[in-house]
Amino acid sequence: MSTQYVTFRIGEALYGVEVMRISETLGHHPRTPVPLAPAGIAGLVNLRGQVVMTVDLRPRLGLEPLDPHAESMMVVVEIEDDSISLLVDEVGEVLMLDDDQFETPPDTLSPGARELITGAFKLESGLLLTLDVDAALAA
Amino acid sequence: MDDIDDIVREFLVESYENLDQLDQDLVALESTPDSRDLLSSVFRTIHTIKGTSGFLAFSDLERVAHVGESLLVELRDGRRLMDQHTTDVLLRMVDTIRELLGRIEATGGESGVEVDVVVAAIQRTLDGATSHEDAPASVEASVADEAPSEEPAPAAAPVSGIKVAAPAAPAPATPEPTSASLASPPAGAPTSPKPAGTPAGKPGAGLAPEVSEVTASRAPTETSIRVDVDLLDALMRQVGELVLVRNQIAQLSGSDTDAELTRSSQRLNLIASELQEGVMKTRMQPIEHIWSKMPRIVRDLAAACGVEVRLEMVGGDTELDRSLLESVKDPLTHLVRNAIDHGIESPAERVAAGKSSTGVLTLRAYHAGGQVMVEVRDDGAGIDPHKVAAKALERGLKTTEQLDAMSTGDLLNLLFLPGFSTAAVVTNVSGRGVGMDVVRSNIEAIGGAVEVDSDVGRGTTWRLRIPLTLAIMPALTVRSGNEIYAIPQVNLQELVALDAQKMRESIEHIGAAEVFRLRGSLLPLVRLSDVMERSADAADSAVIAVLQADNQRFGLIVDRVLNNEEIVVKPLTAQLKAIGIYAGATLMGDGQVALILDVQAITRRSLSGDLAEQDGRLLEERAAGGREAQELLVVGIGSGRRVAIPLAAVTRLEQVSPDRLELVGGHEVIQYRDAIVPVMRLARTLGSFQEDGDQLPLVVFTRGDRTVAMVVSEILEIISDEGAERSAVDDIGLLGSIVLSGRVTEVLDVPSALTQADPLFYAGDPDDHHADGHGTAQAHAEMVGV
Repeated sequence: MSTQYVTFRIGEALYGVEVMRISETLGHHPRTPVPLAPAGIAGLVNLRGQVVMTVDLRPRLGLEPLDPHAESMMVVVEIEDDSISLLVDEVGEVLMLDDDQFETPPDTLSPGARELITGAFKLESGLLLTLDVDAALAA
Repeated sequence: MDDIDDIVREFLVESYENLDQLDQDLVALESTPDSRDLLSSVFRTIHTIKGTSGFLAFSDLERVAHVGESLLVELRDGRRLMDQHTTDVLLRMVDTIRELLGRIEATGGESGVEVDVVVAAIQRTLDGATSHEDAPASVEASVADEAPSEEPAPAAAPVSGIKVAAPAAPAPATPEPTSASLASPPAGAPTSPKPAGTPAGKPGAGLAPEVSEVTASRAPTETSIRVDVDLLDALMRQVGELVLVRNQIAQLSGSDTDAELTRSSQRLNLIASELQEGVMKTRMQPIEHIWSKMPRIVRDLAAACGVEVRLEMVGGDTELDRSLLESVKDPLTHLVRNAIDHGIESPAERVAAGKSSTGVLTLRAYHAGGQVMVEVRDDGAGIDPHKVAAKALERGLKTTEQLDAMSTGDLLNLLFLPGFSTAAVVTNVSGRGVGMDVVRSNIEAIGGAVEVDSDVGRGTTWRLRIPLTLAIMPALTVRSGNEIYAIPQVNLQELVALDAQKMRESIEHIGAAEVFRLRGSLLPLVRLSDVMERSADAADSAVIAVLQADNQRFGLIVDRVLNNEEIVVKPLTAQLKAIGIYAGATLMGDGQVALILDVQAITRRSLSGDLAEQDGRLLEERAAGGREAQELLVVGIGSGRRVAIPLAAVTRLEQVSPDRLELVGGHEVIQYRDAIVPVMRLARTLGSFQEDGDQLPLVVFTRGDRTVAMVVSEILEIISDEGAERSAVDDIGLLGSIVLSGRVTEVLDVPSALTQADPLFYAGDPDDHHADGHGTAQAHAEMVGV
């Protein structure tokens, strides 16, 4: 069995989300900050007339949050008829990955990251961490 | 209802529609018992239900419809006259049918609904008057002959779909088999609305309300089709996107010199606008959709309350967005119930008051100023503001002083407070203390407003102000910091511009709370940057947007006002809604996203103290209460004694070091704002003793150009005297005592105390705005900024 993953970078690490969950990847859109929003919500963007919430996973992955005006690419995910956008540094290629390359995450992973990362594929170039999109966007 | 097949579902939809029509027709029949049209319409509906239920093997339903039909045949053939009893029985039959349909919808079967009782009741009615008549079987035969000969009738209003009128479209007449033989326009229901008025020649009908006008202008079947609401919503979204693309193209072509492109872009502009308008219209439904249930409600209620009511409905074709229509239904029903239960008097009382024994309840809908107004008006006893005031006092909602200061309109607005009911007796209809506050919050939730007008002895008018649509609202866009926010116009009362000088001078403080004097009354101020918890730059100008929500008024300070515009409301995800201060988002002309402020939520949040934690919190909250509740500043004067001072009289609170007090001729004074101000020690005045600490708390009173500083031993709290028990105390300088926070607190007689310190404090009464205050410092004393 193999599954297709859309890959992207946040910080140093490479992440992947099943291709079926992704509706599109986009370049930078200016974000309107939402004061008082929970940490991780990076503002609203205008996606062809739809107002879409963006999520910055960095704080939950133990990284510094993105500056509100920093340029960033977006990976748009459909959740329950709603589009939500993940902010990523760079969108990579779509990879077809064999399930036998998959391993569950080590117990040493920080609790915050453990909620997000379901496991890793061992690629030749490094590890591809798989994200639980629903957990990621339930920020 | 997955397990029900399409035929049954169609049957249910049709039947529900027709039952609504039936209710209306039956009530109308009672006042015009000889109307053949109405009878035929009622008859056809029941006949269809009977036929279809037989076909679908719903035997209970068939049984009920069958006996009902038998009764209707006698009525139609003139062998029986419509009277109240017959109407009752028929309405019961309708209720039972509705119950059966509900059961079928929920379970797919009809078991579990008690039908024998109603069947027996109808049978008794039949037997009672027609013992010599034909057996039902033969009646049925004649029915079958007759029904098809009726002209195909217009379809009744759909329940789950929206009717889309295809204007002037010569659509082929393809009446659906079920709806075609159903409802026909009720008699006395003109196809176009006309002004209220009782059509002449209608017999008065006992307890029953007359439906003098049902503005049922049903679109004929041939020119309308049914469309799924989801499809319309999807169209609406797509048109929204089209409009945005149009805006982008317009922007691009604006910078281009290509004439072709400019022309095309203008055409696109025009077409997109028209398309948008057209799609918006498809979501509109006439308000009579929710009015259609009123005749029945009025009839039943009038009978239950023992009053005579004639229902008049004007402007039923006024259209509202369908989502709004749903939200208006319950409040409207509540107002109608209220009007019958409390508004319209019993026939005897009415006659005694020189009015006709039948009360008139008018529902009126019309467009006004880009909004839809819906009025519920009765010509009953009206609401006595004094009774309202008495009730407010009894419930401890307001004090006598506050009530005295209120206008009639303010008093009537008390009706919207939670837990308020003037009904002398709690009935099963209304008067249980739930109601008007719910009506108001429901209407405000959709961006509307409720007003009430009442003339004692002449009646009451409730007025609902409803926006045309939720999808688009007029708003004011403002800037605070780097962000743009939209404020719904419905909450906006006025704008006050502040330049650098005014910023310094006219924003005054009570404790930490900022206030602004707006035509003499204090307006609590909230800085939008504080609400957003953003750091604010020291701007040299600002604008106060005076906002009103939940009966509270406050000023929202923003950096700049940008524009007045119609904005398209985009919903927010649950996480952002949960923040509680945004009503949605919108797109600005340049494509930027702007947040729409939820003014009601900000009011609740900012004016009840989430914002600031220190004592300014209370001050701000109290200041917001303004005239509504008397606020008391509670101070300590040593020996555990607590003294309350009406906050309205207080100008400022200060902390000074004891060495700033100086002695002049045996009296203590203090230099305060370039003036020498007499100091009084409250403890001494009231015969207590206090020791000076490092800091002396001062309560400063200013009136005109005279100021008195009062030394107290500590500032304890600011509290409302709502519902507190008072008792008179015969002591110099005190008005009495009151229980606050569970402790006995003395209430200071401010004028007498201040006159002791400065005999001239009230002498040169300046003729400015605070001269209105009963000659005491309890009026709004002058506020002095920091």
